[in-house]
Amino acid sequence: MSLESPISRRDFIRNGALLSTAILAGSAGAIPWLKGAGVAEAALMGIGQELRDVLNLETVNRILIEALARGGDFADLFAEQRFRTSIVLDDGKIDSVTYGYPRGAGVRVFRRHQTGYAFSDDIAYSSLLDAARVASSVVQNQSPVRPLDVTPRRIPPAFTLVAPAPLMGEPMKFDLLRRMDAAARSADPRIVSVRIDYVDEVRDILIGTSDGAYVIDRQYLVSIVCVPTAAQGSERRSGFSSLGGRVDQDYFPRRDPEGVAREAARQAITLLTAGPAPAGAMPVVIGPGWGGVLIHESFGHASEGDGISRGTSFLSGRIGTKIASPLLRVIDDARWANGRGSYTVDDEGTPGQRTTLIDGGVLQSYLLDRQSAGLLSMRSTGNGRRMTYRQWPIPRMTNTYIDRGVSDPASLLNGITKGFYAAEMGGGSVDTTSGNFNFAVRLGHLIENGQITKPVRGAILIGNSLETMGKIEGIGNDLVVEQTRGTCGKDGQMVPVGVGQPTVRFSSITVGGTAI
Amino acid sequence: MAVQTSTTIQETLERVRTLAERSGAAEAETYFEFITLAEARVREREVELIQQSAITGLGLRVLRDRKMGFLYTTDLRRNVIDELVLRTIALADQATPRDENKLPDQAFPPQGNLEIFDDAIAAMRPEQLIPLARSMEDNAVARDQKIQTTLDTRAGYAIGEVHFSNTFIPYQVFRSTTSWLTCTAVATDGGQKREGTYSDRKRIFLDLNTPERIGRKAAERALARLGAKPVPSTKVPVIFEAEAAGAFVGGLFGAFNGLNVIEQRSFLAGRKGQQIASPLVTIVDDGIQRRGLGSRPFDGEGSQTRKTVVVENGVLARFLHTVSTARRHNVQPTGNAARGYDSLPTVGPTNFYIDSGSSKPDAMIQEVPRGLYVTGTAGFGFDIAAGEYSQQVEGHWIEGGKLVRPVEGITVAGKLGDMLLGIDAVGRDLEFRTTFAAPTIRFKELTIGGV
Repeated sequence: MSLESPISRRDFIRNGALLSTAILAGSAGAIPWLKGAGVAEAALMGIGQELRDVLNLETVNRILIEALARGGDFADLFAEQRFRTSIVLDDGKIDSVTYGYPRGAGVRVFRRHQTGYAFSDDIAYSSLLDAARVASSVVQNQSPVRPLDVTPRRIPPAFTLVAPAPLMGEPMKFDLLRRMDAAARSADPRIVSVRIDYVDEVRDILIGTSDGAYVIDRQYLVSIVCVPTAAQGSERRSGFSSLGGRVDQDYFPRRDPEGVAREAARQAITLLTAGPAPAGAMPVVIGPGWGGVLIHESFGHASEGDGISRGTSFLSGRIGTKIASPLLRVIDDARWANGRGSYTVDDEGTPGQRTTLIDGGVLQSYLLDRQSAGLLSMRSTGNGRRMTYRQWPIPRMTNTYIDRGVSDPASLLNGITKGFYAAEMGGGSVDTTSGNFNFAVRLGHLIENGQITKPVRGAILIGNSLETMGKIEGIGNDLVVEQTRGTCGKDGQMVPVGVGQPTVRFSSITVGGTAI
Repeated sequence: MAVQTSTTIQETLERVRTLAERSGAAEAETYFEFITLAEARVREREVELIQQSAITGLGLRVLRDRKMGFLYTTDLRRNVIDELVLRTIALADQATPRDENKLPDQAFPPQGNLEIFDDAIAAMRPEQLIPLARSMEDNAVARDQKIQTTLDTRAGYAIGEVHFSNTFIPYQVFRSTTSWLTCTAVATDGGQKREGTYSDRKRIFLDLNTPERIGRKAAERALARLGAKPVPSTKVPVIFEAEAAGAFVGGLFGAFNGLNVIEQRSFLAGRKGQQIASPLVTIVDDGIQRRGLGSRPFDGEGSQTRKTVVVENGVLARFLHTVSTARRHNVQPTGNAARGYDSLPTVGPTNFYIDSGSSKPDAMIQEVPRGLYVTGTAGFGFDIAAGEYSQQVEGHWIEGGKLVRPVEGITVAGKLGDMLLGIDAVGRDLEFRTTFAAPTIRFKELTIGGV
């Protein structure tokens, strides 16, 4: 729900299958339970078929005319229909099965930095005309602006799915979860509980814009998160692993779901005997994949256009300047195949793209939506995203990663007499004004005399963005982009994202353990 | 955005529930929400955002042979809902039967007036929010020359209705209001920028802090952070100022969640009746607190809400439950089923807080020769299963009983069990601005990770 407490507005990323809301539809034939007659059936057929029928070119034109009746730089209509399935397996049982079917549409008007927004939980023409009037009220004392007539735009897909995972039958989904549960339980007698959360969704969107675009897209997403808990005496530790992305059904057999579940169980067991993490500043090496949470927090959020156009981000006005180690290249790629943060088109009708943010340590670009691009006299980079039709788009990351370096990962440990190796990471957050950021490590190891040694428990790691990026000493050649688990929160809006990196070495990061 | 009358909603819900029961559901529950909301955001005196909308959504839970299915939708057309009802019943069949799957079957007498609805908020118009937001920003900027701008200054309100019924409990409804004011000011000093946020959220409009005060406090918080530096790693007494202590108690909530306890995912599992915190500490979940942000006459599955003392003078008294977790523990539910129309009930807080103590916050600082005063925390640093804590913090260094300089870039860590037992002072400054709250608290000793 959009009513979350305004107390904290820190931008963050977390791991876990927290999709926000969600929904809708494959062809009825592909989803057995969708067979049947009636309007529900119609709503679930074809790509946004009903959205297209109700919100045809002519209706959309009329709504946009109303939206700009008091003036404005830009208006759009965003309609969305999702079908979401979630399954919880806990204590060896299928606890609950949920279907969600939210749909609705919103109308936005903006002029310079001013935005008006209203949505409706139904997609009736009259409701959306009302929404357009409400949204237009943000603009005062201006003459009407005539929007361009919308025409359908085809955008080449970021990648294609042959048999999208959300369309597999329920028996297959249950079978996957049961197999993972059994594998995690049998990994060790000390595993006392296993919880597995499955979520998938099919999201149809329709966007009409006052500069003449009419775009329809369908996005598939699936996520499985496995959390086994181990107990010994009074000690309890949880492990974590995940599967998913915007993937085909054959992804699961290829990824060995049992192996993934056993990996989470092994983490929990390792943590039972792990010592306390160290406290204080020291050399830190961060493992590949989800370790990219560091670049997401330390740099990614600050590159987003809203903070840039307001001048509150420390990266404002820094394009073309050196901001980090010359080793560093950072990419945001909306077209990364199967990425959790990937899309063909963003939520304001701009094609998703691959953007180089940092190259050779020099800032190359920001991540922009239409409004922030307009304010900066730049072009949108296709990063305008929204959680659902109940929110307006804001600049967001997609799949953000530190690009491959040249070092052999093992060599990055050389010369460290006492340091910290971050093996498994949790979530993180950042204050984009100061650049102070943090991310949680779930499982670490000590580095002693160039070797990874004893496992240690998790701790928070902290730093200041530019300062920390200046401390990069080496980047491995083992790039992994993690596509299964990231959910990024900002201004109360949660969106799925990917993060990634190869193994990266920092001369110093503050580790928040208890051992001094 | 058509507004339906209560009668229409009641008829729709009764029809849907009856259809479910006739179609094979042994038990069925409808949960319907209608929320109207508006928010205005101002920046540099101009309206940056204005939004106004209405949310309507229906959740349907069905049980068949102790197996549960759930569906939610915002599409309320009759033929759509009817189709979805049948599918949800078929869906339930795929779940595993659980003995504890049973809807509440006890109606209870009406609660006293919780004062969670304010006619003044219900009568508000979105344009009235703009001067409130402007006032916050003006007062933030007026506070000091170093405050040139704000990052996020907004005012909003929401008016909600929850309509509920199940196979055993007749249709019931409650209405509530919320209004909020929040300001994030930015202080600039040379190349250094720091933000400070102050917010308030209340059921009754007149209970809100004034926009003047909120703007001023936001500015003061931003200014206080200028020039902050890390300190060396050490072990010292640490005071959490009330708002940071409230965030701490929020992070601790999961340890009292009855589901986590029975699934061995809480470090407090098996500790009932034991001294788990300092005798100074009493922790309460109060679903019927007058004007409470988390107060409501019944919870997300129709159980009566109540006040539950979770930790009494340091002794772990009870855990918090929904109907199903209570059955698994063989105890009574506590009215803690939290949900929206689009989610199943899970154990959640109502108004969850550390009760007020007797110490003066100033005296708590004066008693510390050398230590840390924490004003803000950040990061996913609670491991509830393991009972471990590690977060990024900021605040002030204490020397000789005085706050001597601003601090940031450090961590605070400890074992949650040791931390709770080591609380050696609890302030008398409890105030509610969110659903989690605490007075100022002082930990005898925690580990600081710094330079």
